[in-house]
Formats: sequence, structure tokens, C-alpha cells
Amino acid sequence: MNSILSRMSRNARLGLLACLLGLIAAFAGSPYSGTRVALDTVELAGIVEREVDHVLAADLADWIIQGKMDYRLIDLRSEEEFNQYHIPGAENVPLSGLPDYGLQRNEKIILYSGGGIHSAQAWFLLKADGYKAAYMLLGGLDEWKDQVLFPYVPAEPEPEQRASLDKMKEVSKFFGGSPQTGNNGDESYEGKPLPELKSPVLPDKPASSPVKRKKKEGC
Amino acid sequence: MNAPLYKFGFFGDGFSLIVAFVIGIGFGFFLERAGFGSPRKLMGQFYLTDLAVFKVMFTAIVTAMLGLFYLGWIGFVDMSLVYLPPTYLLPQITGGLILGVGFVVGGYCPGTSCVGVATGRLDAIVFLVGLMVGIFIFGEFYPVIEGFYNATAMGQVTIPEIWKISYGLIVLVVVLIAVGGFAGATRIEKLMSAKKGGLQT
Repeated sequence: MNSILSRMSRNARLGLLACLLGLIAAFAGSPYSGTRVALDTVELAGIVEREVDHVLAADLADWIIQGKMDYRLIDLRSEEEFNQYHIPGAENVPLSGLPDYGLQRNEKIILYSGGGIHSAQAWFLLKADGYKAAYMLLGGLDEWKDQVLFPYVPAEPEPEQRASLDKMKEVSKFFGGSPQTGNNGDESYEGKPLPELKSPVLPDKPASSPVKRKKKEGC
Repeated sequence: MNAPLYKFGFFGDGFSLIVAFVIGIGFGFFLERAGFGSPRKLMGQFYLTDLAVFKVMFTAIVTAMLGLFYLGWIGFVDMSLVYLPPTYLLPQITGGLILGVGFVVGGYCPGTSCVGVATGRLDAIVFLVGLMVGIFIFGEFYPVIEGFYNATAMGQVTIPEIWKISYGLIVLVVVLIAVGGFAGATRIEKLMSAKKGGLQT
């Protein structure tokens, strides 16, 4: 045996090794055995503590305007609420349907619900099932309304605030909302009733529908 | 290419560009050192006088395949996180043929043309300009061909899933094809160089 090996060239030996590994592989079973990972609660707690588990409404708005398509936006509310209004590009998936919805474990997934509780619960479910890049929209749709659709803009802003306020106004208009101006700045706008949502005005699908999009990845 | 670190937000856009730059330089360096910056070397592939490209590519495929299979098998790599490009059968076959024709006519593939440009080859610069023109034309005609571009979408599928056979069997078959190919390639190279005499690097 040794003499045969020593007479072979290095390439031939490597080839033989590859054949041997291939032969074992044929009987080894599925390489997907490492797919289900044990839940690492310490890691999860760390993620929550470092606050890297969520995205801000303003950031999401920017991504939608830029046409960034590297994420899936999941609306966890009921179909009725979804039809009434949803963030452009969102897909309606009820909490119970989430495991079978066909999300990939390596996709960037952004979850949102009305407030934040359902999305937080869904986030935990996904994390427990090995989804690596699940995020929630901080504050849910309420925050989206407050920060993006109907942001509070003081009537007489400080000069240094002006640029960012102008941007807020533009973003708000892009999504069919309207900035809220109030005379007394210290009164919270959150208590006020939100104006009617103008769903039809909204660009329902941003650049292309999520079904048709191709991922630009690979070589 | 930077997944999963970039994708999962371990670093941002700026740093990912630096990482991509380093990986790209490394990739280009080894392509050049393997002689793949020269269209003569690459063309040897099609005249069957030099099958180095075939051997390098198949070595990479077999190494990565065996590595991923066993790392997944022992549970070190979560295979469900490995990105699978979705299959669009007809557009991908068409695209492959167009790329192949371009490769034979131009003497480069996209990556090696950049390597050729880096070493100052004029033909590579012409090839790269053609590549850019091609990208531009594709972009301009995209609305016309969009239907075909997205046709025959099969999603993220693998051969074991479609044919209902085990992954290990595919691994064995690919290894056998590769090793058989290596042995055959060396023989063909000797045969064809003896016949032609010319077209050596």
C-alpha cells in the first residue's frame, strides 16, 4: 500500500483523497444536520441589550426612498388593517403563518406590527428558529406614523434644526403624509388624533414588487 | 461576497467596501499569478492545449464542496444560511451562452479582463470597454427584456431536491467527474500540444 502511494504524484494522491472523501460523503447523510441550532439565550439577551435588534422608522423610510431592496418587510397585523394601510413594500404575514411563509434564514427581515409587542414576539420566534438577520421596526406602525408620516415640526424652528426638519417634511410628503406643525412646542403631538391615512395616494409598491425582484449577489 | 458579516450588520457599507477591495485584490493577484491575465493561456482551454482553467476551477469547486459538505455534516456550518442564487433556467442558459461566446471571441472572461487591464494589456482594455458598453446596452434594453429576464423562475433549488437523491451522492459524482476530468485533461493537453506544436504561452 505504501509503495503504491509513494509512486503516485502529489496530484494523484490529492485526487485519491478527494475520491475517498466523496465516497464517504455518499453514505454520510445530509449536510443540513447543523441547520437547527440550539437557542443561545445569552446571545439573544446581548443582542437586545446592545439594541442592534431593531431599525428606526426614519432609517427604513430612507431605505425605501433609496430603493434599497436587501430586506423583506413583514407586516404582522390583520389582513383588514394591512389593506387599510401598510408601509410600501410590506408583505402581510400573520404571526401564526410566519414559520411557513418561506422566509430564508439568511435574509434580512424587518418585522412590524401596530405597536411593538407582536413584532418583538415574532422576532423572538424567528431568532429561536435560526433566522440570523431578523429586526423589528422600533415602535411599529405607531412610530412610523409619528416619525415619518406625520412628524411634529415646530412652526418656528431653530436655524440649526432647519435642514433636518426640511428633510423630515420631504420624507413625510414622499409617503403621502403631512408634517404636523404646532404652536406650543412642549405639548406632545402623540395624544392628538392622527389625520386620515391617504392610502391610495401612497406608492403601493416602491420600485418593483418583492415577488419579482432578483437578488444581485454572487459573482 | 462579504456575507454573512456585512449582511447581518457586523460592519457597515464603508468597511464592507474595504473588505471587498482586499478580497478583490487577492482574487486578482492569484488569477494573475496563475497566468489567467493572459488570453493565450485562457484560449488554450478552447484549443485543448492548456486546460489549466478547467483544472483550477474544478479544484476550487471540489475543495469548496467537500469542505462545505463535511463542515455542514459535523454541524459547524449552518447550511441553510449559505446563499443559493435562485434559478431562472432559460435566462441563465442564454446568459451563459452569451458569456461563453464573448469569452471565446474576446479571449477573456469579466474577471480576467480586469486582471489583464491591471497588467496593462491593450486587448484587455478594449475588452473591458466592450464589457461596459454591453452593461449599458443591457441597462437601456432592460424594460424590453425584463419579461424574459424573470422567466422560468424556479426559486432557490438544488439538484438533490429536484431529483430526490442524497447530497452525498451528488458530492461523489462531482468528485468523480472532476478527478476523471483532471486525468483526461492532462492526456488531452499532451496529445493536442504534440499535434499543434504552436499556441503555447
